[in-house]
Amino acid sequence: MTAPILELRQATKLYGGVPAIDGVDFSLANGEIHALVGENGAGKSTLTKVMAGVVTLTSGTMSVNGKEVAPRTPLEARQLGIAMVFQENSLVPSMTVAQNLFLGQEKFYNRLRGIYIAAQQFLQSLNFDVTPTATVAQLGAAKKQMVEIARAVLHEARVIIFDEPTATLTPEEKKYFFDLMRELKRRGVSIIFISHALEEALQISDRITVLRDGKHVVTDETKNFDRARIIQAMVGRDLSKTLYAERKASVRPAKERVLTVENLRMAPMVKNNSLSIFAGQVTGVFGLVGSGRTETFKIVSGILKRDFFHGGEIVLNGRPVRYLTPAPAVRDGIAYITEDRKVEGFFETMSIARNIYIGLLAKLGAKRPIVFNKEAETVGKQWVQALNVRAIGQDVKVVELSGGNQQKIVIAKSLVQKPGLIIFDEPTRGVDVGAIAEIHQLIDRLAEEGNAVVMISSYLPEILARSDRILVCRQGKVVEEFSAHEATEEKIMYAAIH
Amino acid sequence: MKTVRLTQQGIVFTIFILLFAGFAVFLPGFFTADNMLTLLQNVAVLGILGLAMALVVIGRGIDLSLIAVLAVPTGLLLQLVQDGDSFSHALLMAALLTFAFGLFNGWLIAYAEVPSIFATLATGLFLAGLGQTALFKLDVVQWSPGLAGFEKLGQGALFGIPMPIVMFAGACLVVAAFLRRTRYGAFIYAIGDNPFAARASGLPTRPLIVLQYVLASLIGLMAGLVLAASVNSMPTRIYNSTMIYDVILVVVLGGIGLAGGRGGVLNVVIGTLLIGTMLNGMTILDMSYSAQNLVKGVVLLAAVITDSFLNPRNEETAQQGDI
Repeated sequence: MTAPILELRQATKLYGGVPAIDGVDFSLANGEIHALVGENGAGKSTLTKVMAGVVTLTSGTMSVNGKEVAPRTPLEARQLGIAMVFQENSLVPSMTVAQNLFLGQEKFYNRLRGIYIAAQQFLQSLNFDVTPTATVAQLGAAKKQMVEIARAVLHEARVIIFDEPTATLTPEEKKYFFDLMRELKRRGVSIIFISHALEEALQISDRITVLRDGKHVVTDETKNFDRARIIQAMVGRDLSKTLYAERKASVRPAKERVLTVENLRMAPMVKNNSLSIFAGQVTGVFGLVGSGRTETFKIVSGILKRDFFHGGEIVLNGRPVRYLTPAPAVRDGIAYITEDRKVEGFFETMSIARNIYIGLLAKLGAKRPIVFNKEAETVGKQWVQALNVRAIGQDVKVVELSGGNQQKIVIAKSLVQKPGLIIFDEPTRGVDVGAIAEIHQLIDRLAEEGNAVVMISSYLPEILARSDRILVCRQGKVVEEFSAHEATEEKIMYAAIH
Repeated sequence: MKTVRLTQQGIVFTIFILLFAGFAVFLPGFFTADNMLTLLQNVAVLGILGLAMALVVIGRGIDLSLIAVLAVPTGLLLQLVQDGDSFSHALLMAALLTFAFGLFNGWLIAYAEVPSIFATLATGLFLAGLGQTALFKLDVVQWSPGLAGFEKLGQGALFGIPMPIVMFAGACLVVAAFLRRTRYGAFIYAIGDNPFAARASGLPTRPLIVLQYVLASLIGLMAGLVLAASVNSMPTRIYNSTMIYDVILVVVLGGIGLAGGRGGVLNVVIGTLLIGTMLNGMTILDMSYSAQNLVKGVVLLAAVITDSFLNPRNEETAQQGDI
């Protein structure tokens, strides 16, 4: 094998003290297709973002052609010959294909005709069937990807990183895309390819690297891998046995049915999803990115906007419901605790007590026209104690707390509304180990008190350790259901991967 | 580790004190009882409008139609009385017009989801145009005998304090009570802080946005009444002036961040006092109108830059969780 074109040594990136990648070694050979696999949160995106200059390493080194580099912006990475094709398109939708191709390289006098002719010739040389004068917004997902790739090649990228390139493609488009990757390889371009679809990785790549929990697990030639070996590498872990102890002996039986969802549809994420949730137990919901698990429960709790709802039925406690906003859902006792607390979790300029009090006021509605600061303080104190929030004082702004304490505040803000159906979405993401244990205890307690608890998680040990019943989502619907007795990491993963 | 936090509010208040002290020492005729009353009287209308603007800015919006609301409904009131209508009926019509206008603003922003800056720019233009083309006979709607007694609102005094100041103080108390003591006030802060979290927590965000704009319009009407009563007419061309910038200046300078969720009535008062002192001092100094604009521009820029240094957006933490 030739010398690596791109190499990372002991790459570590910390987010607020929590490592996203931790001492990862990675090398990319000249002209190879290298697949990067791992669960959600394994560190694949962070690793590639480091290479593409989107984030910078906390420690460790990166070298291109043996020369040490540290790109700080995507532009610097591009100058080093590294281009990334993002999951979310980075094209300007209102511009034409040609304008997008030459974006940032325009001459002072920007003659459109010249650009179109150059783009036409260039696209033809790549054998891409895209019209240079078409507006990007009008193109389908596959064509957009072609434009992204063409742009990377035009910038003379020697390394192209694809983040989940096939997620939005049809089978036919996928086939075309693979041909394209092989063509790029023939031209001497090295490719890094992130995918959840293991068959694709096995089919197209030369080598495969598996990441888990931010650490490098194994890198080997693709011919030495099979599906089973990859899955085992992805999930096999020794970490924190106590935190994620098996608890099959204490499975709680289902009480009455609280929620029934039937044939729920919302293009493009939720496709005829049907499921039931019961009181008195924890229902774990597992699925990879794009499986529609979060969207399904956001529709149930009225958070996703009404105009995306395409049909299906939701029955809460025997009554058909359809919430257009979260307010009536909250009144009916549904709490959705967000996976992204910064964006839709807490109020950053407010104190701990205020945050929780806002939750109470929202539930009480017209019954509490006047705000009592005393009451806010009492409620705040009560929940800070109940959930063991560690802060210097109640007046501390929530934005200044650690991830675990922030999460507890967001949970308290919902629990103060006394919900009967509690949906936790990634309850321990970005949370320190001590707080994880406390949040897990809380989830157990809520179920034992007779609430219906839903726990959406990408972390298999968490799913296995907390759930009495496990639903697996894939491509917009629940495809398999396990009881805690029969579930194993391998079975769940097998059901979740297409 | 505890560091001393410099709030914009504190900085502006310090500047106000320094400026005030400077003028009092070096500017003859500034620190006299008469001038102090004039100073306050001149900024009362601006301060009341500042309260209206603060209400929507705290909720992460902006209302550029406030000057139209200041001019047109009160102009309608004066015009109707001039045409022989009774005062109470005319006042009711003005209030209805204001209410409907606020409702429309709120609907546009909350339900049609038009960004507040464009929505209120357009509706303000519309209302001013409506007044000038359809409602008023002259650009300055004149006083008429039917209004006798109404001028006390602008020219009278309560316990020796001029009425405009009393009105401003009253409005401050009402708005402060609303923002700090009522459920809706708490919700407006929540919406301004994080609209997504507010919605997900089960707050009725859309009706609350409508409420904000209705209240802002009604406070705007109040400012209009005080203005008309002070000068015995309604110069409707005020819409074409730069007054809306002064209102924004009061709010931003006082430390109510345009990002929403921050500040309160105290900030409006501080902002109003600083602007009032500046304008009064510059007038006594006999500075030209253009030179005054220059000073105001520099002060506003300084305030905005300070704000963005004091409340920086931390990119590193914003990315947290995006592994």
